[in-house]
Amino acid sequence: MQLLRLQINNFAAIGQAEIEFGPGLNVLHGPNDLGKSTLAEAIRMALLLPHGSSHSQPYVAWSGGDPVVELTFASEPQQIWRVRKHFGKKGSSRLHFSKNGRDFEEAEQARGVDGKLREILRWGIPEPGGAGAAKGLPESFLATVLLSTQENVSGILDGTLQGDLAGSGKERIAAALQAIAQDPLFLELLRKTQEKRDAAYTEKGAPKTATGSPFREASDRVKEAREEKERWQQIVGDSEGTERRLRELTAGREPRQEKLAAAVAHHASLDLLARQTADRLLALDQVRTAENEVERIRRLISDVEAGNAKLAEMAVHSQNSDAAVESAKQHHAQALARLAQAQDAARVERADPAFHNTQLLLSKNEAGQALQKVEQNIHAILEAKKLAGDAAQKESEFRAEERSAADAAKTLAKAKAQEKEAGDQLVHCELLKKILDFQIAARQVKAAQDEVARRTQLETRLKAASREQDRLIAQRSAIIVPPDRSLNAMRRLAQDLGSARGALNVGFVATVVPQRSIEFTLRGDGGDITSFTTAQPRELAANASLELTIPGVVSVRVQGGSHEAQAEVAALESRWELEVEPHLKTAGVTSLEALDAKIEEARQLDASIKHQENEVRSLQQQISPLADAPQKLRSATEFADALEHTLGNVDFAALGAEVATLEPGPAAKLARNQQELSAQAQEARSKTTRADQDLAIGKERTRLLRASLDSANSSRDLALEPFPQGIDAALHAANAQRDTLRGQLDGITTTLASLEKQLAERSQQHETAQREAQREVGQAAATLDSAQKQRESAIARRALEEGGLKELTKQRDVADLGSAEDKLRRAKDQYERLPVPGRVVTEEEVKAAKSEVVRLQLEIDSLDKEIHRAQGALEQVGGAVARERLSEAEETLLQATRREQEIETDSEAWKLLLEQMKEADTAQASNLGLALGPAIADGFTKLTRERYQNVKLDAQLQTEGVVLAGAVRETSRLSLGTRDQLSTIFRLSLAEYLRVAVVLDDQLVQSDDARMQWFQNLLYEKAKLFQIIVLTCRPGDYLPSTSSIPANSPIHFDFKDHPVRAIDLGRALQRH
Amino acid sequence: VLKLLHTADWHLGRRFPTFPEEGQKKLSRARMDVVARILEVARRNAVHAILCAGDIFDEPNPQEDFWQGLVKILRNHSSTQAPLFLVPGNHDPLTSDSVWAPNHPFRAQLPGWVHVVDRDDFTYELSPSAVLYARPCRSKAGESDLAMALPARQPGDERLRIGCVHGNTFDIEGYQTNFPIARDAGVARGLDYLAIGDTHSFRDVTSNLPVPTVYPGAPEPATFDDNNAGHVAVVAMFRRGLRPRVDAERVAFWRWRDVRCRDMNDLRDLLSTADLDRCVLRLRFDMAVSLAENSAVGKILRDLRGTEAAHGRAGILVEDRSGLRLRAGTAADFSQNLPPVLKDTVDRLDLLIASAPLEAEKEKARRALSHLFEMLATREATGGGA
Repeated sequence: MQLLRLQINNFAAIGQAEIEFGPGLNVLHGPNDLGKSTLAEAIRMALLLPHGSSHSQPYVAWSGGDPVVELTFASEPQQIWRVRKHFGKKGSSRLHFSKNGRDFEEAEQARGVDGKLREILRWGIPEPGGAGAAKGLPESFLATVLLSTQENVSGILDGTLQGDLAGSGKERIAAALQAIAQDPLFLELLRKTQEKRDAAYTEKGAPKTATGSPFREASDRVKEAREEKERWQQIVGDSEGTERRLRELTAGREPRQEKLAAAVAHHASLDLLARQTADRLLALDQVRTAENEVERIRRLISDVEAGNAKLAEMAVHSQNSDAAVESAKQHHAQALARLAQAQDAARVERADPAFHNTQLLLSKNEAGQALQKVEQNIHAILEAKKLAGDAAQKESEFRAEERSAADAAKTLAKAKAQEKEAGDQLVHCELLKKILDFQIAARQVKAAQDEVARRTQLETRLKAASREQDRLIAQRSAIIVPPDRSLNAMRRLAQDLGSARGALNVGFVATVVPQRSIEFTLRGDGGDITSFTTAQPRELAANASLELTIPGVVSVRVQGGSHEAQAEVAALESRWELEVEPHLKTAGVTSLEALDAKIEEARQLDASIKHQENEVRSLQQQISPLADAPQKLRSATEFADALEHTLGNVDFAALGAEVATLEPGPAAKLARNQQELSAQAQEARSKTTRADQDLAIGKERTRLLRASLDSANSSRDLALEPFPQGIDAALHAANAQRDTLRGQLDGITTTLASLEKQLAERSQQHETAQREAQREVGQAAATLDSAQKQRESAIARRALEEGGLKELTKQRDVADLGSAEDKLRRAKDQYERLPVPGRVVTEEEVKAAKSEVVRLQLEIDSLDKEIHRAQGALEQVGGAVARERLSEAEETLLQATRREQEIETDSEAWKLLLEQMKEADTAQASNLGLALGPAIADGFTKLTRERYQNVKLDAQLQTEGVVLAGAVRETSRLSLGTRDQLSTIFRLSLAEYLRVAVVLDDQLVQSDDARMQWFQNLLYEKAKLFQIIVLTCRPGDYLPSTSSIPANSPIHFDFKDHPVRAIDLGRALQRH
Repeated sequence: VLKLLHTADWHLGRRFPTFPEEGQKKLSRARMDVVARILEVARRNAVHAILCAGDIFDEPNPQEDFWQGLVKILRNHSSTQAPLFLVPGNHDPLTSDSVWAPNHPFRAQLPGWVHVVDRDDFTYELSPSAVLYARPCRSKAGESDLAMALPARQPGDERLRIGCVHGNTFDIEGYQTNFPIARDAGVARGLDYLAIGDTHSFRDVTSNLPVPTVYPGAPEPATFDDNNAGHVAVVAMFRRGLRPRVDAERVAFWRWRDVRCRDMNDLRDLLSTADLDRCVLRLRFDMAVSLAENSAVGKILRDLRGTEAAHGRAGILVEDRSGLRLRAGTAADFSQNLPPVLKDTVDRLDLLIASAPLEAEKEKARRALSHLFEMLATREATGGGA
């Protein structure tokens, strides 16, 4: 702090004073009672006393009027304050501020002035009006030290900071001492620590985040590492998602595959059982057929053998019959002879009726034999007819079986056709599905292309928008205009200026009346200059100003309006130049209207830029989701190409059109179709299998029936051979012959009966004889007849037997028992070899099993497609490489985080160290006595030529005493002069540390010359560092040389070789 | 005898972001330098072929420096060189825009004796009695067993059959997509030797089978976990049916050492380690030290790490000082001649260490004390005097 100027009016005895202070030692000299101490008091009051304080009452001018003090001082370089206090009840205070000492502006007024002053001074005086504020001139330790009066030596040596009402004084001293009293090592370390701390933290202690700061560097690294880690996490996530999907699909496939295998096995086992059943049935049928054949042949052989045996027996029987017949014939002949005898006897009696009777009997006999033959013939015919019927029956069966086989063949062909058709349709359906997949893929490609195109379009728009934005920003940046709101102030200024100029525009007429011809120039209202040379009076009219110049003689400038009005115009013009012109110039315009237009233009540009920013942001937001569009397109195209390649050369258009017609949806429809077609194909396959089996069975049956038919035909043909005319004709003829013979026999029998009746009637006499003979004949005849009948019967039976035997023999001869038995054996072997099915299987069961197999196969096919897709996707992911990268990124992040923490801890440690060092330092420096003591002691020791070794000050700067011969002596025991000198050294030391002005009012008056000289040197030395103001009546004690001051020097005289200004108060102040 | 040199996992262009910048450069350069040593081993052993089973580059599109560097080394070794077969692996899969693409300038600049396996049916007759089958990776991940995709031995084929693919034989849950290789693939496909690559340690995974299936490992280790890395496999094949002989030959420049110091002796012993300048050293601590020891640790670390003016004694150093703790009561380490204000500072920090409720606060105070000690020690060392 340095005092610059002091002006006083009506202050006690001083009527007026004006003093300009120099920067060094100011020696204000004057005789006693001039008012030197009053000046010192005026300075104290200007700085410390509120203008309304009653404490100013004693300083009311003796001549009346309130005292006024104006003090100008610099608190720092370019921090210049001017305080003006008009003391008294109606007084006032004003504080002005200036950076250059010329241009001041008001900083505070009234009560605010003292508060501000105390804030500037920081002398430990609280704000006025605060709690505990003392009445009168405020006091503090520093105020006492720096501005004390001549009688206040004790106040300095006995004073203490303890008594200050505010702590600012102590803080200021502590801060000042701290800066100069520190240990060099400590200072060096403190500086280094401060550097370390400042590298990491702002002044306010916040971590620095600007580029280049350690925190920023570390956090950038962490951010970078985190972003890298997150990027790889994303990739690994995608990768693992794909891998998981693939694993799930593969895992899902396994049970299905197992189910399918089980279903296939189940179906195969059922199918096998079904086939086994069918095979065994067929084999059993073959066995039965073979058994029948063998049985037939064996029966044939047995029949033939039995027939032969029977025939042989019949031959014996026939021979016996013949013998019996012969014997009977003999008996009969004998009986007949006897009868003949009887009959002869009777005939004799009754003519010869016996002749007719015999003939009739012979006829009857012959007819009976013929009838027997005919009936045998009829029997043979009927037998042949039966064989023919059998053959026809067999043929009918054969034909029926043949038809059945043909039907089975047809069914088979039809089933195969159905199977083929269903298979073809399935293939077609599969093709359509692929076409559908391809269409979907193509649509995806198209969609991806659209996205890419849209992205390209958006990017083009974005570029254009960015260019437009850049252009607008460039255009806007070229326009520099003040804020819109300032225009109103400018307009007001323009209006004020116009109004002010209007006040000048009063209009006047000047009449120039030359005494002789004279050249003069005129310019009205700042217009063109007009020159005249005339001796005639000339009237000149102007609105605001008129300039008349007579070259070489005079220039007269007449301006309209009052002085104030002109001053106002000048002030407004000055403001215009300062406040408006720069804006106009910067904006490149000449008028406010143009500036307004520029501002409007700038506003529009700002709006356009804002709009463009929104546009760019909107486009970027639109582009963002399309970032992966090329990748999507590539994937979709590759997938579509792969599908197209799979499809090969098919008619895409036709198939596509077909797919398009599928309702309700192609995919669903195709899936349903595929399922239906699979079922149809399966059903057709079942039908085919069944038809195939039926056909095989039919063929085998046909073949067996054919053999049976052939055998039957052969038997029939053999039986029909004796009837070339046909069997019916032969039967008819035989029946007719039998009827005829029966008629003849009946006629003969009737005749015989008639004859016998006649004989009975006529031969009643001979009846007894004849009866006996007859009985004998009868017996013989009966015997003969019986024998004959038996013989005939035997013959007939034998013939019949022979016929049958012949037929059987024929059949036996054509039959091959060995082959049949062989066939039977093979059939049995085959049957035996065939496995026995575990159980009976129904066709429905087999069908259901097959359907399950098809269903599971479809599921697996669908799953395989999914797996194939997932495998394709897997090839697009990062896999183990991404995991490695992620692991590295995590390690990097861990290190970066650790590094960041390390830097943070390290920086915190530096910060803490600095804080602790400062706290330690403050604690050390707060003992102000320790800091300030050595400097005072040094001066005092030198002054007293080491009589006193030290000066003891306590922590609050109270002087405890001086050290003399090792003992501390109280200052009160020092002489007045020495105490005065000690207090001066104290004041100078403190002022030096604080770099503030100190006022010494009539100090050192009791010093001897030697000490005075010592002080003079000390003051000259210190005056280089701070301002010292000495008020003295003995200038010789302070000035280098009073004689070197010229007699006509001004009030202030500055010495050349010393920083000393002599101020002659006798001239500087006027007393009342 | 047919002799082969089998290598893999060069990982040219691999980055080492967890290392200091200088270390990153050294490690990256080492990956390129080892290629020349591999070719030299091949020449010295007069092998008939060199098989590189995948991951030649760390990514499918390496920076030009790396593929140009490889071209340069290969061209410098063009004389009397056996054919070299480069198989794309999962790190550098064969794709249309990879370095392996036919139109990539890398391919055009490769010498004629270098063959890129860029077909699935790659076959090369090494001699009338020996044939090589190889198959490339075409993506970074895949489920297919490339070894099982090699053609099977046909009846009557009596030649030595060598397979070369990239993938791994570990059937680990979650890793099936990394081109799994069945351990008996060599036997199943009628091969006499199956050269594979992926894991970075040298290992014969089928030592109990007649057909060796060998990982030669990375020729230069890439992590501290790459145990037994740094080799190539030199394979001698005698005749069909006789198990080939496989020898590991070391080619790596760097040895990776993970060191944990539990006291100052451990740390000091480290300085006498042989070939320290060829070590990639990761130094971790599990010890409490006084301020003076802490200062000594700092000095040793500077020695190991090097400064701008001097090379460090360790080739590459990675430090983790999280386990290095300051002992309590270390304030006694300070000189008694300190100015009162510094003594006061030390006392204040010591009090904080003793009384702070949180360990973080204590650690901060310890670190502050350490800073102060370090400043004083440095000043003393530079002649400033305390």
